[in-house]
Amino acid sequence: MIYHNPTAAYIHIPFCRRRCYYCDFAISVVGDAPLQNSSTMVADYVDHLCQEIKLTAIKNEPLQTIFFGGGTPSLLPVDKLATILTTIKQYLGIASNAEISLEIDPGTFDKKQLQEYLSLGINRVSLGVQTFDSKLLEICGRTHNVKDIFTAIDLIKQANIKNFSIDLITGLPHQTIEHCQHSLETAIKIAPPHISCYDLVLEPVTAFGKQYQPGETPLPTDETTRKMYQLTQQLLTQQGYQHYEISNYAQTGYQCRHNRIYWENKYYYGFGMSAASYFNDLRFNRPGTRKTYYDWVQKGAIINVPNLTKNDYLLETLMLGLRLVEGVSLSQIAKNFGEQTKANILTCLKPYSEQNLVVLENQKGETRLKLIDPEGFLISNTILATLFEKLEV
Amino acid sequence: MTDVPVSRIRNFSIIAHIDHGKSTLADRMLQVTKTVAQREMKEQFLDNMDLERERGITIKLQAARMNYTAKDGEEYVLNLIDTPGHVDFSYEVSRSLAACEGALLVVDSSQGVEAQTLANVYLAIENELEVIPVLNKIDLPGSEPERVASEIEEVVGLDCTDIIKASAKAGIGVDDILESIVQKVPPPEDTVDKPLRALIFDSYYDAYRGVIVYFRVMDGEVKKGDKVRLMASGKEYEIDELGVLSPNQIEIDELHAGEVGYFAAAIKTVEDARVGDTITLVQTPAEEPLPGYTEAKPMVFCGLFPTDSDQYSDLKDALEKLKLNDAALSYEPETSSAMGFGFRCGFLGLLHMEIVQERLEREYNLELITTAPSVIYRVTTTEDEVLEIDNPSLLPDPQKRTKIEEPYIKVEIITPENFVGTLMELCQTCRGEFKDMKYFTLNRTCLIYELPLAEVVTDFFDRMKSRSRGYASMEYQLIGYRENTLVKLDVLVNKDKVDALSTIVHRDKAYYVGRALTEKLKELIPRHQFKVPIQASIGAKVIASEHIPALRKDVLAKCYGGDISRKKKLLQKQAKGKKRMKAIGTVDVPQEAFMAVLKIDS
Repeated sequence: MIYHNPTAAYIHIPFCRRRCYYCDFAISVVGDAPLQNSSTMVADYVDHLCQEIKLTAIKNEPLQTIFFGGGTPSLLPVDKLATILTTIKQYLGIASNAEISLEIDPGTFDKKQLQEYLSLGINRVSLGVQTFDSKLLEICGRTHNVKDIFTAIDLIKQANIKNFSIDLITGLPHQTIEHCQHSLETAIKIAPPHISCYDLVLEPVTAFGKQYQPGETPLPTDETTRKMYQLTQQLLTQQGYQHYEISNYAQTGYQCRHNRIYWENKYYYGFGMSAASYFNDLRFNRPGTRKTYYDWVQKGAIINVPNLTKNDYLLETLMLGLRLVEGVSLSQIAKNFGEQTKANILTCLKPYSEQNLVVLENQKGETRLKLIDPEGFLISNTILATLFEKLEV
Repeated sequence: MTDVPVSRIRNFSIIAHIDHGKSTLADRMLQVTKTVAQREMKEQFLDNMDLERERGITIKLQAARMNYTAKDGEEYVLNLIDTPGHVDFSYEVSRSLAACEGALLVVDSSQGVEAQTLANVYLAIENELEVIPVLNKIDLPGSEPERVASEIEEVVGLDCTDIIKASAKAGIGVDDILESIVQKVPPPEDTVDKPLRALIFDSYYDAYRGVIVYFRVMDGEVKKGDKVRLMASGKEYEIDELGVLSPNQIEIDELHAGEVGYFAAAIKTVEDARVGDTITLVQTPAEEPLPGYTEAKPMVFCGLFPTDSDQYSDLKDALEKLKLNDAALSYEPETSSAMGFGFRCGFLGLLHMEIVQERLEREYNLELITTAPSVIYRVTTTEDEVLEIDNPSLLPDPQKRTKIEEPYIKVEIITPENFVGTLMELCQTCRGEFKDMKYFTLNRTCLIYELPLAEVVTDFFDRMKSRSRGYASMEYQLIGYRENTLVKLDVLVNKDKVDALSTIVHRDKAYYVGRALTEKLKELIPRHQFKVPIQASIGAKVIASEHIPALRKDVLAKCYGGDISRKKKLLQKQAKGKKRMKAIGTVDVPQEAFMAVLKIDS
């Protein structure tokens, strides 16, 4: 177990113009009109968020990474963003070379806004593109069209933001391999240093979840989405992107430092409604509506959950670490959980290593266990479930 | 306990269909006679097992002695001998009826007479019991006392002029019932001078005192310390403890003809003191045992295998313990190439099977895989040897046998007339032979069919219920064996024959069952990383085949914002599912797959 204060923080900004049809995140729909600085809804939210930061923070080491996710953080008026960052700086501290990311959606910002972000210290933006096909954008219920995406890219380039990412989705209803290829090729032309490509998860409570059955038309079959995944891996790695995590690709030096914290099973703060945090051996998800979140903050923002067990820690280390291309360190696991645990892991992964889906690698005296890209990644749940079955106590 | 003259003893039982309110009425009588203090009263006092209370049915019967002061000012002893309310236990019912002189026939006045009630009433009449009809639940809005009373008159042939209208729940009519037991049920015969004969109507195993035997003294008397002989088992014991049931056990020094009580005598298993056996004295034995003893024989068989092979010895211990208390349960070791080590177990019927299975899982914390139920087939070999086969995988090859016979039952179904068509269709598809149809009343038709037992031990009962929207009820009895053209249907998963999935079917249905079974298995077995063929075959000939496509993608793309809890839960669920599966070769097969043959719609 580890005992130190987190050096990463996730900040949840819940506002969205509309809810996309695949989305089941905790958001607050605000409509298409731009959010005014005078909006009491926004002011209330930012007040409680800052209040939470003040109640939680123990100033120790300054933060190395901050991630504004949502929702649509780019809907937040810039001076509200400034308020949050000032609070963070005051109560937690921000390292001089910190990575500060912000999620932005096409059609929600202009050049001035991007310049203001830069002056606030934001140094990485992640653009929610999803697809370069206008019909599919409509099917997803996105608020922007393809033209808005290109405008957004131009703005990012004009503002000279080098560290930016594009988000794509595969497995959308009516999406074909050709659609997928077109989106990837378009993204490659834009040449962002980072690309995330997520396979659609059909959540039951979403519009998609209610409308479609997994694997049935108009959703592509598993066989098709498998091909999309392989195509993505192939096209992007050919262009020099490293496939560093199941759904993430980056040029050298541009991996998302914040997201790596999760996968390396390290501590992080979470602020805002529905935000997840992990520190002091506690994983905690904040209340998921504004009202319940405000009540919780007003009662002192108390994290009241059972401590994780050593077994939780083991399973989480595996479940998260195996998402990374370099996998997990078995030497470290043997050190933390005993040689027997290491032996158990090897025994239950034997059938998978025989099929060349997982592999052991020795480097610098350390044994690492990793999934093969892309075959192992593609059935990572099956492999993890096998580990859980054998290791869970 | 005071010594009561035989003339003031009344022994009775209650006959009722499930849910018609037997247990509630029994509770109410215990309360009214102050046998059980109000504060000790929990609902359905006589149903001791958790399972019974949960399901609202009586599995093991119980008895209770009540003191009741009648209107004539005299104090009477009323012994209620409860009967189990399910067709699986009809032998036990017949023995507890044999211990009584009277029976209450309790019928839900909003429903009517059901098949099971009818069968038990006939049993009571055969045993020359005085039957007192009672209409229960008369306080319900849907109650139709006149209609149901005339139905009882027509169907059962009982005079219902003075029928008692009651509501056990609301406490209506309970005094009338008690009074009419005193008035109408004859006292036992005074045969106290004859040599001892006592009828065992129930027994259970107690870890400290050995088997506790419940009995009714028919002739003579019995004292604590007496040496007794059980006439069927031939075993002899000295009575350590003698008492009455009120319904808690109260020790007493002696019991005489007409009385009901219990004794303990360091008996090691209920098999040695079976229901129906006659107790007599070693010194002055009776000449003849009481009539009607038979050994309750298992009719339905299935394999029970631990999901985790380490639990084999735990399963063995658990079965041994259950057997101490359940003479009708049989088990012997079974080795299956697919399932490993387990036990072939025999049960009285499907409910009995379900109960045992549930108790093993619940009380003994075992995770079990149960194979589809089978009956005993009688197979004649080419050497003219007759084999009894209770496990389809052990059926001799076609060239080594000359015929297969299977058990048949006579089924009586009582149903509202509008479901007659669909129920006849059901019986036909289950290879039934139509025997008779009787019109009891406008609303009640009785269908009589002869059916192979094998067709009924699948999901016949559920299908009958669903086709009749729950209105039909049934009763059956074994009528013997008949020869049929039966074949063994094997199932191959990933080219491996899975013995635990073999089933015996009629040749005419084999193709249909083979197809339906492979389709069902395709649904039930999860996808693997490779394609899994599933085939049904008769001998070497494949008659149906399906395949489960390979699982080529099983990945969760996103762990958004560090919220890993959902993904973790998902993996835990997936892992839990895997734990409950049996690995057959390289294929994980879930428990439900072994019951797939029951899930086929025909």
